[in-house]
Amino acid sequence: MEGLTHLAAAFVHFATVETLANVVWATAIGIIIGMLPGLTATMGIALVTTLTYTTAHDQAILILVCVYNGAIYGGSRSAILLNIPGTPANAATTLDGFPLARQGRAGEAMAIATSGSALGTLVGVLFMAIVAPALADVALSFGSFEFFWLAIFGVVIAGQMTSFDDPLKGWIAGFIGLLVAMIGQEGIHAEPRFTFGILDLEGGIGLIPALVGAFGLSEIIGVMIQKRAEMASTKAQVVLPRLIDMWRYRATILRSGVIGTFVGIIPGVGEDIASWISYAAARRRSRERHLFGKGSTEGLMAAETGNNACAPGAIIPVLTLAIPGSAPAAVLLAALFIHGVRPGPMIMIEAPHVVFQMVVMFVLSTIAMAAIGIAAIKPMLMILKVSRERLMPAVFVLCVIGPYALTNRLFDIWVMLFFGVLGFVMRELKYPMAPLVLGIILGDILDKSLRRSLTLTDGDLLPFFTRPISMILVAVTLLTILAGVPPVRRAASALWARVDWRKRPEETGARMS
Amino acid sequence: MAALHANVVSLPMKPTGLVKADFVSALVLVALGVGTMVESWNMPRLEERGVQPYTVPGLVPGLLGAILVILGLVLLVRSSRAGGWRLFAEGDGGIGADAVRRVALVLVLTFGYAIGLIGNTPYELATGVFVFAFIAVFEWQKGEALAPRARRLASAAFQAILVTLVVTVVFERIFLVRLP
Repeated sequence: MEGLTHLAAAFVHFATVETLANVVWATAIGIIIGMLPGLTATMGIALVTTLTYTTAHDQAILILVCVYNGAIYGGSRSAILLNIPGTPANAATTLDGFPLARQGRAGEAMAIATSGSALGTLVGVLFMAIVAPALADVALSFGSFEFFWLAIFGVVIAGQMTSFDDPLKGWIAGFIGLLVAMIGQEGIHAEPRFTFGILDLEGGIGLIPALVGAFGLSEIIGVMIQKRAEMASTKAQVVLPRLIDMWRYRATILRSGVIGTFVGIIPGVGEDIASWISYAAARRRSRERHLFGKGSTEGLMAAETGNNACAPGAIIPVLTLAIPGSAPAAVLLAALFIHGVRPGPMIMIEAPHVVFQMVVMFVLSTIAMAAIGIAAIKPMLMILKVSRERLMPAVFVLCVIGPYALTNRLFDIWVMLFFGVLGFVMRELKYPMAPLVLGIILGDILDKSLRRSLTLTDGDLLPFFTRPISMILVAVTLLTILAGVPPVRRAASALWARVDWRKRPEETGARMS
Repeated sequence: MAALHANVVSLPMKPTGLVKADFVSALVLVALGVGTMVESWNMPRLEERGVQPYTVPGLVPGLLGAILVILGLVLLVRSSRAGGWRLFAEGDGGIGADAVRRVALVLVLTFGYAIGLIGNTPYELATGVFVFAFIAVFEWQKGEALAPRARRLASAAFQAILVTLVVTVVFERIFLVRLP
C-alpha cells in the first residue's frame, strides 16, 4: 500500500512540461545512439552524463534512464536493416530481424521489435517495483562478510556469463578490474597504493574516464577496422505493432521478460546475455522452431523483449546493493552518486521515493520509445547513412569532453586514452569488458569488507563460511567456478544428455545422429 | 567427440594468432601479478600507528596479485599446450596489415588531439583541426581527381566547423559544462 502511494507521488512529481520535453529528447538521443554501430548504450549514458552535471538531480537521472532504454531498443534498427547490432544487446536480434528485412518485411520486423521492447521494459519495471523493496530488505542484513562474498560472487558470475565459452578470460578481466580499483588512497587508513609518486593517481581511477575509454575509444578503433556494411532495405514502411502479434506471443513475451529481468539482476551480466538466453528459451519452446534464424517473428520478439526487460532488471541491484546489473547500469550508478543519491541497502529507509521514481522514469521512457519508434522511422533511418569516417571523429570529441568535464583535469583524458587502448586489445583477445567495469566498482567494497571483517573476527576466517547468507554466497560462487571448469562442464553436459534422453528419446536420438 | 579427443591429445600444427596472443598475455598477467604481490608486500604496515595487522593496506592487493598469477598460469599452460609458445611459427588469424595500419592511424589522430593539441591550443581550433584531419585521412583515395577531392575536403572542413560550433554551444552555453 505504501508502495502504491509512493508510485502515485512519483507520477505526480513527474507530471511537468520539463519532464515531457526531457523524456522526448533523451529517448530520441538514446534511440539514435543505439542505432549507430559503434555507439553503445554504456557509452551513450556516459556521454550524456556529462550534459547533466548541472541539471536538477531527478531530471538528470530521468534523462539517463531514457537514454538507456532508448539505446537498447534503438540497436534493433541497425540489427534488422544492416545485420549489425547497434549495441551488443541486439546481437540476437540480427538472427531473425535481418532475414525478415531481406524478405521485404523490414517494417513488420521493426514493429515487432518495438512492441517486444516496450512490453519487455514493462515486465521488467513491474518486477522492479516488486523485487527492489524486497531485495533491499534482505540486503539490510548484509554485513561486511556478505559484501565481501558478494563482490567475489559478482566478479565470478559476471566473468562466467559474459564469456561463456571461455570463463577464464572473464575472470581475468574481473580481477584486473578489482586491481585497478586498488590504485589511489585506500579507504581505511588513507594510504596511497600503486601511485608511484604521481599525485593525480592518489584520487584513484575514475569510473567515467575508464568507461568512456573502454566503451568509447576502443569501439571507435573497433569500428574503424571493420568492413563497411550494406543496408538490407532502405524502404522501411511504417507498420503499426499489431495487438494480435502481442497476444499470439504472450507466453514468449512473459517468459522473455522474466528471463531478461532476472539476468539483469545478476551483477555485471547485461542485456546481450539476457537477449541470447531469452532467444534460446523461446526457440526451445516454440512451435515454429524451424523458422528460427530464418526470419521468425517469435525469435525476434523474444530477443527484443529479453534485452529491454534486462534494463530495469539491472537497476534493481544498483538501487538496493549499489552493484550494477550491467555495464550501462554501472554508468547510471556512477551518475546516481554524482547527483547525490546514495543507493544501497538503506535506500528503502532513506529514500524510498527514488525506487518508485525510477519505475515511473522507465514507464515514461517506454511510452516515448514506442511513440518515437513508430512515428519517426524514416527520419531516423537517414542517420544510418552517415559514414563512420564522418561520425567517429565527432564521437571522439565527445569522449574527450566526458572525462574532463567532471573534474576539469587533463589527467582524466589520459586515463580515458589508456583504457581505450587496453579495452581494444582486451576485446581483440576475446576478454569481455563488463567484468572489468564491475571489478572497478566492486574493488572498494571488496577491500574494505575483507579488512573490516578480519578486524571484527580478529583474523578468524570461520565466520566467512558459517554465517547463513555468506554460506549461500560461498556455495553459489563455488558452483559457478566449477561450472566454468572444462572437465566439470563436460561431465555435467554428459549427465544432462542422459537425463534428457530419458525424457525425450526421439529428440536426443535425432541430435546424436 | 573425435574432434574433442584430437584437440586434447595432439598439438595443432599451426598455432592460431589468438593462441599465441594468449600465451603472451598470460606471461604479462603473471608478471603483473608478481609485480603486484611484491609492491603489496612492500607497502607500509603502519605498525607505528598501532594498526591492526589485518587491515594493512597491502593485504587485498596482495591477494589479488596472487589470484592473477594463478589465472595467468592456467592461461599459460592452456595456451602452451595448444602451441602458443611457438611465437614465430607461421600461423593463421591476426587482424591483417590493413587493419593494423588503420588502428595506427586512429591512435595517432586521437592521441595527437587529446594529448598534443588539447591543453596546448585553443579548444575550438584543436577540435576543428582534429575532425578535419580524421575525415581527410580516412576518406583519402589514391589517384582521385582533383575536383571531387577538393569537394570532399571542403565538406570535411564544413563538418569540422559544424561539430566545433555545435559542441561549444551545446556544452558551454546550454548545459554550462566546462570544456578542456
